[in-house]
Amino acid sequence: MLRHLFKLIWNKKGTHSLLIIEVWAAFMVLFGVLTLIVFNLRNYLQPIGFQYEQVWNLELSSNQDTTELAPKLQRAIQRVRSYPQVTAASRMSSNTPFSANQIGNSITYNKVDVGGDFYYTDGELAKVLDIPLKKGRWYAESDRVGKYVPIVINQVMESKLFQNESGLNKVVKRDEKTSYKIVGIVDKFKAKGLFMSDTPGLFQILDKDDRWNSNILIKTKPGTDANFEAKLVKDMAMMLPGWGVEVGYLKDSRKNRENLTLVPVLIFLIVSGFLLTNVALGLFGVLNLNIAKRKGEIGLRRAMGATESGVTSQFLGEIWVLATFSLVIGLIFAVQFPLMNVFDLDREIYIIAILAAVAVIYIIVTLCAWFPSKQAAAIHPAVALHEE
Amino acid sequence: MIKLQNVEKVYRTSSIETLALNNINIDVKKGEFVSIMGPSGCGKSTLLNIIGLLDAPSKGQIEIDGSPVKRYTDKHLAELRNRKLGFIFQSFHLINDLSVIDNVEIPLLYRNSSAKERRELAQEALEKVGLSNRMKHFPKQLSGGQKQRVAIARAIVGKPEIILADEPTGNLDSAMGNEILGILQKLNTDGATIVMVTHDEAMAKKTDRLIRLFDGTQVS
Repeated sequence: MLRHLFKLIWNKKGTHSLLIIEVWAAFMVLFGVLTLIVFNLRNYLQPIGFQYEQVWNLELSSNQDTTELAPKLQRAIQRVRSYPQVTAASRMSSNTPFSANQIGNSITYNKVDVGGDFYYTDGELAKVLDIPLKKGRWYAESDRVGKYVPIVINQVMESKLFQNESGLNKVVKRDEKTSYKIVGIVDKFKAKGLFMSDTPGLFQILDKDDRWNSNILIKTKPGTDANFEAKLVKDMAMMLPGWGVEVGYLKDSRKNRENLTLVPVLIFLIVSGFLLTNVALGLFGVLNLNIAKRKGEIGLRRAMGATESGVTSQFLGEIWVLATFSLVIGLIFAVQFPLMNVFDLDREIYIIAILAAVAVIYIIVTLCAWFPSKQAAAIHPAVALHEE
Repeated sequence: MIKLQNVEKVYRTSSIETLALNNINIDVKKGEFVSIMGPSGCGKSTLLNIIGLLDAPSKGQIEIDGSPVKRYTDKHLAELRNRKLGFIFQSFHLINDLSVIDNVEIPLLYRNSSAKERRELAQEALEKVGLSNRMKHFPKQLSGGQKQRVAIARAIVGKPEIILADEPTGNLDSAMGNEILGILQKLNTDGATIVMVTHDEAMAKKTDRLIRLFDGTQVS
């Protein structure tokens, strides 16, 4: 019977070509949206790698002030650490967790060059963000005297640079002038939130006289409220006249950041939902019309020995065959993505998206064909034969 | 072989009740060639649909091979139609999107027969009606007479014992009509029981027995 249905649909391919294109287009859009969803969902299911609940981001901006910035910033962080409400504080580059800023560079080991996010910070960051170490230790002030700049890298960076070897205590190069020594390895650090993929990252100790990186991450004690925030801002403004002082909660920044990922996904979902609804309505209409035009054939098949359920199965089978034609064309396009490693995504993401898109298309065509097929089966054979 | 006792068929709508068949009693013996005649709207096709188990009578009983078919399920009726009965229609009812041989194979799709077996039986049936050279053609490429021969091949492909023909020559000229009747007579000679509805007195006279209907009632 399947062969018969293939033959029937193949012989009518001209009539069905628009329908085949419509299902193909729906599959391609669905594949794109599902790839995006699977990618984000997989990221979401991976741990973020740090704690941010009680952490505030104090942004200091020197504005027109250009004198003695480094000592001023050092005094500011000492002042912050002196508050009883503060558990720990760390200076950090502008690419603080959940911020829109990004600092990227690459390091080389044995001709293997790996790019990643560079975070410039002091050794206190681990305490502020509770970043667990997998191997080694966090750098300390005493490491500054060494020949190499101490760094901590994440697990992805380690595996990309050293494959199965341990990266601990290895010396890597940034450029001809700068070499780093890896003193510690952390697991994950998804600074842009749960939807960020686990990409290579590196923490580099801040220069003692650094005057550019003026963000201070503050871990507060539970129950610390806006009164302290007001006091902090007031004190900083007094200490650093003419500077801009702003406090943000990482908890809020995270929500904003994640919304930036969710909104486009949601928009794509709405667009594809609209498209799929159109496809479904189109299919439903075409099938209804088809059945009205094929009453004679239905009567004939009943006369030749088809049961009611046989007629239902035939019409369902036809739409599945039609969907299969569209999906075969769609798959030719879709499989290029994992094969050619488009957008540098895991193959698994594309494969899951392809399988899910195929399943959704079959579910939609089945739902659309179910009612017309049942209607076809309910047509009395004598009436159907008489109507042709 | 086919026995109808006190068969009555009433079509009901919310406002009208139409008596299409009234007290029909027919007994068709195995190997007989029976024709049913009557003016348009007298109930000939309704009667043939009831004999062919495509419609159920409002009253009365049908027996096929001595078994009453009143309480048969849809599945059982479909199997009976598939195994015992072969249908030929005035308007041929060929599927235009399938080739001649694929059209002929249709009844065999509802049996557990292999593709090879189906193909062989369809070729054999087409040879019987003299169309083995048109197997790959599509219905639109055939003349009326050829289409009806394809329909006959489709009716006999499953080797049914009974062939029901609803005005098989109605859409054909007299020469072609005679040719089709000749094929039916040959099938009858080979052992098939045939019930044929016709308008044509001359055709009817060539059959073993003639049943006349008028306004849904059997008059002879």
